[in-house]
Amino acid sequence: MTKLHLTRRGTLAAGFALATMLAAGSPSLAADFPDRQITLVVPFAAGGSTDVVSRILAQKMSDDLGQQVIVQNVAGAGGNLGADNVARADPDGYTILMGTVATHALNPLILKSTPYDPQKDFTPISLLVLVPNVLVVNPELPAKDVAELLALLKAEPGKYSYASSGNGTPLHLSGELFKSMAGVEMEHIPYKGSGPALNDLLGNQVSIMFDNLPSSSGHIKSGTLRALAVTTKERAPSFPEVPTIAETIPGYETYTWNALFAPPGTPADVVARLNAAANKALADPAVGERMKEFSATIVGSTPEELGAHVDAEIAKWTPIVRDAKIQLE
Amino acid sequence: MRSLTFDSTNALCGAVFIGLGGFFIYQSLNLDIGTALRMGPGYFPLVLAIILALLGVVILVQSTRVEGEPFGPIALRGMAFILPAPIVFGLTVRGLGFVPSLFLIALIAAFASARMKAPMAVVIAIAITLFSVVVFSYALGLPFQRFGPWVRF
Amino acid sequence: MDLFSNLALGFYTAASPENLFFCLVGVLLGTLVGVLPGIGATATIAMLLPITFQLEPVSSLIMLAGIYYGAQYGGSTTAILINMPGESSSAVTAIDGYQMARRGRAGAALSIAALGSFFAGTVSTFLVAIFAIPLTVIALKFGAAEYFSLMIVGLVSSVALAHGSIVKALAMVVLGLLLGLVGTDIYTGAPRFTLGIREYADGLNFVAVAVGVFGVAEILRNLEGEKTRTVLMSKVSGLWPTREDFKRMVGPVLRGTVIGSALGILPGGGAILAAFASYTVEKRISDKPQEFGQGAIAGVAGPESANNAGAQTSFIPLLTLGIPANPVMALMVGAMIIQGIVPGPNVAAEQPALFWGIIASMWIGNLMLVVLNLPLIGLWVKLLTIPYYVLFPIIMAFCSIGVYSVNSNVYDLYAVAFFGFVGYVLVKLRCEPAPLLLGFVLGPLLEENLRRAMILSRGDPTTFVTRPISAILLLIALAVLVVVFLPSVKAKREEVFQEED
Repeated sequence: MTKLHLTRRGTLAAGFALATMLAAGSPSLAADFPDRQITLVVPFAAGGSTDVVSRILAQKMSDDLGQQVIVQNVAGAGGNLGADNVARADPDGYTILMGTVATHALNPLILKSTPYDPQKDFTPISLLVLVPNVLVVNPELPAKDVAELLALLKAEPGKYSYASSGNGTPLHLSGELFKSMAGVEMEHIPYKGSGPALNDLLGNQVSIMFDNLPSSSGHIKSGTLRALAVTTKERAPSFPEVPTIAETIPGYETYTWNALFAPPGTPADVVARLNAAANKALADPAVGERMKEFSATIVGSTPEELGAHVDAEIAKWTPIVRDAKIQLE
Repeated sequence: MRSLTFDSTNALCGAVFIGLGGFFIYQSLNLDIGTALRMGPGYFPLVLAIILALLGVVILVQSTRVEGEPFGPIALRGMAFILPAPIVFGLTVRGLGFVPSLFLIALIAAFASARMKAPMAVVIAIAITLFSVVVFSYALGLPFQRFGPWVRF
Repeated sequence: MDLFSNLALGFYTAASPENLFFCLVGVLLGTLVGVLPGIGATATIAMLLPITFQLEPVSSLIMLAGIYYGAQYGGSTTAILINMPGESSSAVTAIDGYQMARRGRAGAALSIAALGSFFAGTVSTFLVAIFAIPLTVIALKFGAAEYFSLMIVGLVSSVALAHGSIVKALAMVVLGLLLGLVGTDIYTGAPRFTLGIREYADGLNFVAVAVGVFGVAEILRNLEGEKTRTVLMSKVSGLWPTREDFKRMVGPVLRGTVIGSALGILPGGGAILAAFASYTVEKRISDKPQEFGQGAIAGVAGPESANNAGAQTSFIPLLTLGIPANPVMALMVGAMIIQGIVPGPNVAAEQPALFWGIIASMWIGNLMLVVLNLPLIGLWVKLLTIPYYVLFPIIMAFCSIGVYSVNSNVYDLYAVAFFGFVGYVLVKLRCEPAPLLLGFVLGPLLEENLRRAMILSRGDPTTFVTRPISAILLLIALAVLVVVFLPSVKAKREEVFQEED
């Protein structure tokens, strides 16, 4: 075991999990858990960033648990279908969910009806990674930083549009938050995923976009797109030269996160076993390397910390969604 | 030659398209239409649905001018056994699991033909199930549970 | 010359023993999943992603690419043999290929498809090698207005797909467009025509619709009046194409290759149009257009070549921009990221061995496919001698597995049954399913780009004619419309005159 890539929270989490396991004693469910394959439901299409994170982790978790953790993509309704499937699955730890900021904070706020309650209908397992978003522009746009972009938007209101990977996504909300905090106008143009939106951005059909950092990082490195700022509070370790939006608009912060959830009522020792496996996988140097290339920050947590995180995220997004008047059916 | 030349197939076809067009028009009207410059979610479907209904009218009108071929037999037995197969699979695959569910639908579908005898159907269903489990579940590793909670003791 | 040294590097990389092995594994697996009706490359590649974690990046991408074009290949086999297209592009092959099979010429149809695909694959691989980088510049010029106009060209052309009434074909296209709109409106999030079923919020699944209207409807058609009918298939005559067949496939293959290579570059729908466009062209310039839909060789050779050429060139936006043109390419992006390669314009410069290795492996893979598949044709044709009542429980079982494997959505299975019924009714009403499927694929793209173009132009509809590429495309659409409708109007007139005689 290497301590190099263990974050402090991760170490704590692993320690906590170990303690819970010892406290639970041996003749428990966890002793024979898992005795068959575990299904990790990914509520988005294969190939996306959540899917990639899931597959990297599932691989490592399988090694630790001694049973295959297989990824099942149940895409649909912005992640709600997959999340709902897990919320209603047997609480035995054999069906778990790769939840995100969308399934556990944004969708319930934006959609008129969500079939589950993100706080009550899940047993938190562990927070996994944070992924920064980024404000990118076509290099032909005469704005070298956020301040210049704001000046441009104020000089010609209604001229510029921004692209995002879809309506009600964390990226759309990052854009809306940007607009409301800076007091500028930009038309939102939703696409079906990052790919087509990036294509139009590269062709300068649209000149501004909010994207996941991993999906545009190749273009930022090659200079085909210009990153004006990342959306996290701190600069991204993979792009230390790119400033944050908060440096120009104080208090601005958005990011995407991934976390594991089990159905409600999953026994604590099973949760602890899964938590330990997840945090062990996160601490693996190879995983750390992948995640870094992917621009994701490894977090890791205890189940309780994840529960608190979900509460905090919902509290944070409620006023933003209300003010931006985003309400989808 | 019949005195009234009339293609019943095309007449029915026209009526079906008018009906489908009507359904989509009705559904579109519940959506926000918007304007041509600022289209709402209902605009494009409404235009299409109106075109569909109009095309249905054209087909209906044309059907009165020519005599058509007979409608031919209808595969009632086929429909009764083939169409339920995917539905049954959908209803049982999570509960029963992949193996029993697949066996069941192969058996149901086998009876769609009047030539199928019961023992033969069972043999085919078993063979299909075995092959699929080996290929899909083991070789390709599709993430299905082989036996679901309904049959797990 | 850079190209030669690059290609040499590519072939050197792709021809290493382990890469040859993974290429072979990929095309074999691809052929297998392609031949099994319903299950497609997307599900297979998704399943194999974690395995590629252990492989070298080049090997894993070569294998995944092999699965992709292997599945395209296998998909046309099922389309020809049992009228069950697994990918949108092989829907066109099914039209005439299946008719050829019914006439006992399954072997010829399969060999034509294989040889046409191989030729197209070879040419387009070299096109990728030479033009990959300059071509992306063109692809980037395509904005919403251009895509909209391109879709219009596609829709107008699709009318020629019909071999019966043009009005009915138009109605089927429109119905397809409407079905394509089922699901959540991307601009407002409003659910449309979902009948309140949340599982359809992302739209109807293409595989479910295609399997329903083509495959299940065909099974039902074969089951009707089975007591009176004894043989469904004519006796198999001649496994291989005749000299005459070869003569007739040259032109369509060449034209199909050009069309496919050109349209494949466009991300988002370009490759889908290729097969349809080729069919239209062949039918239009044929001196026996009445043969189309009855088993015309050109109707198999052209679209199959276009389809395969498009499949190869659709790697261009992936390799040069890191932008996926279809769900399979999206998975390839995922695979690259898992391997720690950041897809984007830098791949060619930073990872030349990977970039050129993949390109070279495409040609090697195509060669493997043709070598593997030509001997298999005899076996496939033998499958047709299995009594139909044994074959269709097998087909139904595989379809159900395949459809469910895409998204684990049971409502997709209900959609198969529903569209099987709809497809059968439409067949009984003498309507062709192919235009419906094209409309289904294009519907969302058409609307999405129309509305996006209008937002971008701030509500100015002249954007479609003031942007040069868009204007040219609309002119082409107009020209196609004139060419398609003039002869039919003339024919109508002649018909009327004859009736009066």
